Amino acid sequence: MNRRLSVLPLGSFQMPALNTVVLLRVLAVAGMAVLIALSPGFFSAPTMLSLVTTISFVGVVAVGMTLITVSGNIMSFSLGATTAASALTFVAVLNVAGLAAGIIAGLLVGALTCGVQGFFIGWLRANPIIVSIAGLTVITGAASGLTNNAMLYADEATGYEALRGKVFGIPAEFLVMIAVIVMAELMLRFTLFGRNLLMTGASYRVAEAAGVARTTTVFVAYALAGALAGLAGIMLAVRYGSASMEYGIGYDYNAIAAVLVGGTAIQGGQGSAIRTFIGLVIITLVQTLLLLHGFGTEWQQLITGIVVLGVVMLQTPLGR
Amino acid sequence: MPGSQLGSLFRLLRHSPILRPFIILIGCVVLFAAVDGSQFRFLSLGTLRSTLQSFATLAPIALGLGLAMLAREFDLSIAGLFGLAGCVAVLTGVDYPLLGLLAAVAVGLAVGVIQGVIIVRLRLGSVAVTLGGLLICTGIALVISNNQVIGYANTDMALMLGDYLFGLFTWRSIVAIAIIAVVSVLFALTRIGRDIVAIGSNREAAVTTGVPVSAILIGVFGFSGALTALSGGLVSFSLASASPTGLSDVLVPAAAAAILGGVSLSGGTGRPLSIALGVLVLSVLRAGVNAIGAPPFVNDLAIGTILLAVAIADGPELMRRFTEIASALQYLANRRSLK
Repeated sequence: MNRRLSVLPLGSFQMPALNTVVLLRVLAVAGMAVLIALSPGFFSAPTMLSLVTTISFVGVVAVGMTLITVSGNIMSFSLGATTAASALTFVAVLNVAGLAAGIIAGLLVGALTCGVQGFFIGWLRANPIIVSIAGLTVITGAASGLTNNAMLYADEATGYEALRGKVFGIPAEFLVMIAVIVMAELMLRFTLFGRNLLMTGASYRVAEAAGVARTTTVFVAYALAGALAGLAGIMLAVRYGSASMEYGIGYDYNAIAAVLVGGTAIQGGQGSAIRTFIGLVIITLVQTLLLLHGFGTEWQQLITGIVVLGVVMLQTPLGR
Repeated sequence: MPGSQLGSLFRLLRHSPILRPFIILIGCVVLFAAVDGSQFRFLSLGTLRSTLQSFATLAPIALGLGLAMLAREFDLSIAGLFGLAGCVAVLTGVDYPLLGLLAAVAVGLAVGVIQGVIIVRLRLGSVAVTLGGLLICTGIALVISNNQVIGYANTDMALMLGDYLFGLFTWRSIVAIAIIAVVSVLFALTRIGRDIVAIGSNREAAVTTGVPVSAILIGVFGFSGALTALSGGLVSFSLASASPTGLSDVLVPAAAAAILGGVSLSGGTGRPLSIALGVLVLSVLRAGVNAIGAPPFVNDLAIGTILLAVAIADGPELMRRFTEIASALQYLANRRSLK
């Protein structure tokens, strides 16, 4: 594993079964429960509704990021830009060719842009960090060249607003995210592709020895991640009736934050979509608590950072 | 066989850290000059000045990140630190600009050292730890600036930093060039350079041969933080404002510059001077695109394409894939001749 970006200076490790770690987790959950109980208005309908909608966009991207992290390729810097580019494509095609074509085009653009990166990463073992930074730069450049950095507005005559509805009072976005998480989890656990992905992430050489088609596996993981980013972009465009490159800002970092806080190890080979969801819920709960207790939005990023760093530090291989 | 000559040329390009950015640099200059033709928009004092201005912003950051990459680590936190340092410098340096700059550099150094200590002592991956650092730095910047762009009242400082010395250099570019010169000399003449290369090439061997791995890694992260903060502070002074989210995106160009400068993420290759050449390539690209009147997105497309090309050329399996394709072609040719 010399070739991989040094995630671990010395040796490798599993998640520690440390008692202090367990203790800290229990304390954190208990502390959060007390804070929630002490926060009037937490369970009020408007709070819950806006919460549930906002986490859905990041959640779908984060599931895609989980696939990349599990495959042993750390993270992708280009998923946020892919989200925005797909949103733009969706709106542009929607206005010309209708809803179905728009959705297909949005998903395809996401799957293709990330799939190309995955191909180079899988086939040549090109460095995932460099490739995704290159991807981010090309996508941003192409999008600003094609749109002149303008915002695109969806045409209401296409009837796209029908997708904005609620089912039994639950926003459609949230249901889409839950479906994505369940499917990703089933895929990781019970399919050949999932097993191959985990093995490729755990050890590239062992996967080779076991005859895993690593190029295909990594390519499919990236293409799926791109399609999920595309889905998130379509959801954003449907919700706001518009699209611009600004929509993708921060989605890459927030997605990897959810993956890490959920306890998926950054060096790959293990992890799950449900863990990522739990990570996302933890981050969102902390941020909401802050808002309810009168801290402005500027505190959210700081606290997210502290939570991410804290969780990462708990993954230390020492004291095992 | 001409193939093997081509192969050795290719290998030379892959493995010589100075040659590659130099060739790309010459290629860029020739291309821009050719596109520009006889109009002399590219080959002008203005282009040289704006090249040096981007160089001044980017060179310290790319140098810090490049040294971290040389040691087979990565520092994401520079993206947040750049904005944070600008805010700190502007908020603390209204009366005494130097004090503000010092405060910014101290914050950068502290952020880098703390991250370095966490990475070394807890044996954690630098991507994960510095991701936390990135989010925390941006968060602190948002909090101390109240999520607003802060103006800098001391406009004398901005004017001074905007002055051209000898008609060409600004104080910022002189600082950047001095840093590159000092670090290059230190890297070549002292043990530190060899130690960093050793850590990046083979960490276990470095530990065994008595390289002070922990101290050097902490130093590298501290250095990266301090240089990023210096650049962030100076940029904010010269623009007379600071933004918590940073006045420009620095992570992508800094990583691109280091990679163009022959630093690979698998560690151990690249030198300070080659990183500086990488920065120069990006600066020429940016200034050139402006000079010939091309829209700014051309710059992004060019950087992205070059980066992708470098990533592909550095792919560890590239040679194997070539051999596979060659042998497949050979096989097909043999079958045809048998028929």
